[in-house]
Amino acid sequence: MTPFFGPLEHGRIPALQQTRVSAFLISAHGALARQLGVAIPASLHHGWQVEMHSQYCREMEILSLLGRATSWVFDPALAFLIWQWEAAWLPHPVSGVEDRMQSALIDLAAFGHALHTVIRPAALLPEGFPDEDPFALAMRRIEFESGRLMQAQILFLKGPQLAPVRDAVASAVEWRHSQVRELWNNMLHAMDIDTSGRHALIPAYQARGQPVPAVAAQPSVAIREP
Amino acid sequence: MPWLECNSRRIHYELAGPPHGPACVLVNGLTQYVRLWHPFRDALVAKGFQVVSFDMLGQGQSDKPSLFIHQDDQVEVLGRLIEKLGDRPIFVAGISFGGVVALRYAIDHGDKIAGLVPMSSFAEIPAQLYMLGAALRTGLILGGTSFLQDLLFPMNFSGEWLDSMRHLIDLARHRGWLANDVYALQNLMESFLEFEPLTDQLSAIRLPTMILTGEYDFLTPRPLQESLRAHIPDSALVIIQRAYHAFTLEKPGLTAYLVTRFAEDVMAGRWRGKGSIWVAPENVGGELTPFPEGFDHMRAIPVQTQAPELAPQQKATAS
Repeated sequence: MTPFFGPLEHGRIPALQQTRVSAFLISAHGALARQLGVAIPASLHHGWQVEMHSQYCREMEILSLLGRATSWVFDPALAFLIWQWEAAWLPHPVSGVEDRMQSALIDLAAFGHALHTVIRPAALLPEGFPDEDPFALAMRRIEFESGRLMQAQILFLKGPQLAPVRDAVASAVEWRHSQVRELWNNMLHAMDIDTSGRHALIPAYQARGQPVPAVAAQPSVAIREP
Repeated sequence: MPWLECNSRRIHYELAGPPHGPACVLVNGLTQYVRLWHPFRDALVAKGFQVVSFDMLGQGQSDKPSLFIHQDDQVEVLGRLIEKLGDRPIFVAGISFGGVVALRYAIDHGDKIAGLVPMSSFAEIPAQLYMLGAALRTGLILGGTSFLQDLLFPMNFSGEWLDSMRHLIDLARHRGWLANDVYALQNLMESFLEFEPLTDQLSAIRLPTMILTGEYDFLTPRPLQESLRAHIPDSALVIIQRAYHAFTLEKPGLTAYLVTRFAEDVMAGRWRGKGSIWVAPENVGGELTPFPEGFDHMRAIPVQTQAPELAPQQKATAS
């Protein structure tokens, strides 16, 4: 098991790993985009609806980017996995919230929160992996954007309007986190990737005198520069 | 790998050193994780201490609550770990954010520990610190963990140290980025929005307390540690020369030396805090020196605390 993609094939992330990860992300972000598309009213009346619309557009951008930046190969396992993933993303009632509309919105926000927080695709890139690789840059951009996109969910889920059902909200979000984490980790484990290994890396402060790997894997504000 | 269960949450911790000697529990700063304590921890272990370090809720390998983290939960985790250490002298040292958790524990459970070491810590959030914290949070939201680290590096360390580490800074940013999740850091930072000042409760801390502060720390400047010194009866303020905020990383050997010296003084019954003010030696093994009498330790230039009495001849000249 390794915490990163690999072993590399001719200096590139193996196409099967690209295919499996992108298929997962397309399934999850596609489901979120569909649910957002249904939930956004034709005319906006609240500030958070503006955030929701913006998020919908960003999700569409992510789907388009993944489709074009991935080196796709035939992966027979996807025939089963996609059904498993799609079933998991279906709306789920939030126990403790009687208002159906509110319950659906909380579940949608919880799903989005889990998707943008639990999944860190750029953290799978090997240290020193080149910046100019399209798949790597797509992973960085998705993770970087996730940090911003989750703010819409945080605003809504922590907002005063949900204070009376805060425990139910917290449970719903924890449940979605656990669900997304399990599916993501299972998918990675099947490719011998275990993200917990990233915590075993020696901190740089203790690496004096040792060979220093080049690093370029973390997304940063630099990727937003033209 | 040891884990602690606390209110259905898993806490990752590490134990090092002899199991029957005095113990020291280390409490992380905001973006810290247990591995960052290793040089500091090893220096304490070499002196015969058993050292416990742990990832707080939201940090490193510990559970990361998705929406809310409460300081009370962090204090409870610290208490559970201290309980596990049994009946022996236990010292608690926390840096910055972790110092606040240690202070809160000591206010309510001071009888369970032998000594306290708040480092670069604070008991209240005045406007300057609040605005810095809010700006760091905005930086995290807009630029991610990497940008937060870009902001924190020059706040935490001296220019000399950053120069000497220049070839490792990118790696440090990357490893820190791998270990930290944006939402968890954001939750930790927001747990301070509900922070109630502890100043009025500090006098409840009756145990020996050594307050460590960096000479040049501008993230949590000296007035914050001075407030601790003024309100904790058996405390002493120790100024670490040429140090910034994160001196446990920049000067781990020296900081560990100060902590072990303090613990040995406490265990030998030699500790006398009395609100005294000291200057730490520059090197391990050196002596602490009292802050020069008559000068204001809150100032960066040598300002005398009271104007000296003028001689009659000087008075005549002045008039």
